[in-house]
Amino acid sequence: MSFIEVKHIKKTFKVPIKSDGKFGALKTFFNRKYNYIKAISDISFSIKKGEIVGYIGPNGAGKSTTIKILSGILVPDSGNVVIDKMTPWIDRKKYVSKIGVVFGQRSQLWWDIPAIDSFNLLKDIYKLEDSEYQKTLNELIELLNLKDIINIPVRQLSLGNRMKCEIAASLIHRPKILFLDEPTIGLDAVSKKIVREFIKKINKQNKVTVILTTHDMADIEALAKRIILIGKGQLLYDGSLTKLKRKYDYLRKITVITKDKVKLENDCVVEQNTIDDGIEFIIDIRKIEINEFIKLISSKISISDIDIDSGNIDELIVKLYEDFKI
Amino acid sequence: MKSYITYFKLKFKTGLQYRAAALAGLSTQFFFGFVYVSIYVAFYESGSGNLPMELKELISYVWLGQSLFALVNLWYKDKEIINLIKSGNIAYELCRPQDLYLMWASKILGERLSNVALRFLPVILVAIILPSPYNLDLSITLPRLILSIITMVLATILMTVLVLLYHVICLFTLDEKGVINIFMVISDILSGMVIPVPFFPNYLQNISNILPFRYISDFPFRLYVGNITINEGLIGIMIQIIWIIILVILGKLITKKALKKAVIQGG
Amino acid sequence: MGLYFKYFKIHFKSELQYKLSFMMSFISQFFVFFGYYFTIICLFDKFSNIKGFTLYEVLLTFGIIQFGFSFCETFFRGIDQFDDLIVAGNFDKLLLRPRNILLQVFCEQVSFIKLSRLLQSIIVLVIAIINIDVIWNIEKIITLIFMIISSIFIFLSILIITAAYCFYTIKGLEVRNVLTYGCREMAQYPIGIFKKGFVMFFTLIVPFGFINYYPLLFILGKETNKLFIICPLITLLYLIPSIIIFYKGMEKYSSVGS
Repeated sequence: MSFIEVKHIKKTFKVPIKSDGKFGALKTFFNRKYNYIKAISDISFSIKKGEIVGYIGPNGAGKSTTIKILSGILVPDSGNVVIDKMTPWIDRKKYVSKIGVVFGQRSQLWWDIPAIDSFNLLKDIYKLEDSEYQKTLNELIELLNLKDIINIPVRQLSLGNRMKCEIAASLIHRPKILFLDEPTIGLDAVSKKIVREFIKKINKQNKVTVILTTHDMADIEALAKRIILIGKGQLLYDGSLTKLKRKYDYLRKITVITKDKVKLENDCVVEQNTIDDGIEFIIDIRKIEINEFIKLISSKISISDIDIDSGNIDELIVKLYEDFKI
Repeated sequence: MKSYITYFKLKFKTGLQYRAAALAGLSTQFFFGFVYVSIYVAFYESGSGNLPMELKELISYVWLGQSLFALVNLWYKDKEIINLIKSGNIAYELCRPQDLYLMWASKILGERLSNVALRFLPVILVAIILPSPYNLDLSITLPRLILSIITMVLATILMTVLVLLYHVICLFTLDEKGVINIFMVISDILSGMVIPVPFFPNYLQNISNILPFRYISDFPFRLYVGNITINEGLIGIMIQIIWIIILVILGKLITKKALKKAVIQGG
Repeated sequence: MGLYFKYFKIHFKSELQYKLSFMMSFISQFFVFFGYYFTIICLFDKFSNIKGFTLYEVLLTFGIIQFGFSFCETFFRGIDQFDDLIVAGNFDKLLLRPRNILLQVFCEQVSFIKLSRLLQSIIVLVIAIINIDVIWNIEKIITLIFMIISSIFIFLSILIITAAYCFYTIKGLEVRNVLTYGCREMAQYPIGIFKKGFVMFFTLIVPFGFINYYPLLFILGKETNKLFIICPLITLLYLIPSIIIFYKGMEKYSSVGS
């Protein structure tokens, strides 16, 4: 039995249909009609202890619903979830003291006062021992470099620093699992990097299992070896990012700076464009290896510079979504 | 001038969209009207000699107050205007070739009239069909009715300029919660919405006779129910007009000053 | 209980950030309350009694009801503003913590501004107790204490039930407020002054009669049956169904989502 075991969960939401017009409100009151929206149709997966898993999918795919079910806020219509030998929505109190959750768009910190006060309150909420709390706090302060910011009222902090405190707050009770819902949303490049590195460290040092949802593929590239892709409530892919890349990320843009002119008639070239000071090739690496291609091209023209664009993971995801028609 | 009328119409029409809120407001007005009437009935049944209003008058007064509540209560803030002031986006408003004061006046008037338009008739209808003594009395002479309508129109204008004055003061305080709240609560009490002015202690009656507040609700209502003579009514109309003029001048002056300040400070 | 005080301290610290705004709101709340008080004073200036109850007798009921209501508004503001918690999605945050949900909801907000009303209601109560034509003895004092405690509990029950309503829909909240504020408005007077239908309603359905009327009769010596001393405690039973309703609503919430 894995650490996290999700089996055939399903969830359908009932959304009342509003009728418009003069007595719309009255009509809906007496005769309610509903739309049934399948948020999750049938999802199963398991996660081992200490893994970092990227949970991705387009908006409305059912990411948040899954996170809510895994964290015990929502009860699925059917199916079963066992995490650390507990069912989240049944053993709520016992279960939630083992998990930490960060919603990128919501805060659990007190806005008007320094973060340290919020930490102290969380200590009481989670009934932590003084010594244990102090130890964790010091660790977090060190790791995240929080020393100078925890005594400033939260509302005066930058978004990046606020997110650091937010994550620290969700780790204060030493959870075994950390759920991160879009943790880098709205952050600048530097803060994003800090947050990612921190998540890595926490995962390594404290063996915290991390499940993260994000739209930022750089998060996934930096953090998650394994991704779970869902769309329209269904599981589409579960496996390593590299494998996925190999399957979908097969086009490379090679820009060659040259004065010569050439027209390559080869299967591997998908597109060829002449640019200001050279030529741009788009090649299919399933048909030719890069070094083979360079050999081929350098035998025909003299190259003064070359640039290989290794492909954008965002584009990969777009391709993926197109492929799955989601 | 035309643009202000368009603005008013726009606000009025938007306001009419909020039917659900109006429906909920209706229940508030019914319930509270009923509570006040029940309390007054209990007092009058306990008997007493020298009373400033007859029970019939008092009950009609309560129902008028409830049916026109959305128009005459002075605890009113226009969220859009307040947000504009607090966010500093007021600068954009200044770019338009319009008079800010008049524009806001038509906005407030449009919104409040749309609120009351949805609530007035239902409350009045129910108040009429209630059994005696809980009902609204409809017997009224024609001259009194005409005079009441005139005072109500003036009261609406007076309400608009008073509420607008509070909003304009926000241009200085940049906060709608502090002083403005205190002003609003006190004007609400002195307007007679909490209890009619004749029940006030004498000294407070004298004070409120001079101030503008009671000319927004207490005065037109009491004129309608017959607690004020026609002659007193005519004097009241004069006072309403004088107060409208004073408040408009005051409001315009403050706006001018505040905008100058805003321009100097760069918004 | 300990946790509540921890929260309380944090709320206080937050409030201190806005001292001026706090003072202003405090004063305006003072005038709001004064409006209610003012009405009663004005009416008793013209009338000697209401159905046999004198000014100070009415002020006693008024004080008790306002105290109970303000107490809940001040210390249990979270349950009063429960719709905010649901709408903003912050209720989920509470579900993620290993503590009793209702307790966390209570802790969520403290309104120090409403303290203004609470203080005033205490002042009115003291004025009423000093001036009322009653010879106080142990039995009557106990009755009074029961009345005050029950006043808190009945408003708490009403607030919990109306909060549970938010689990189903957040529409028509104003109608909900009518119930709370309307009841408060009426219960400022001894329920017995109203017509029979109201008296029945406020005895059997929303039992304000057991707080501000029947025990008052005992204090005033109009009734001597000792049962009237403990009848305010009946309202404590009200808390049980209201808590059950709240948790039923919560079950629905976690199966339906927001």
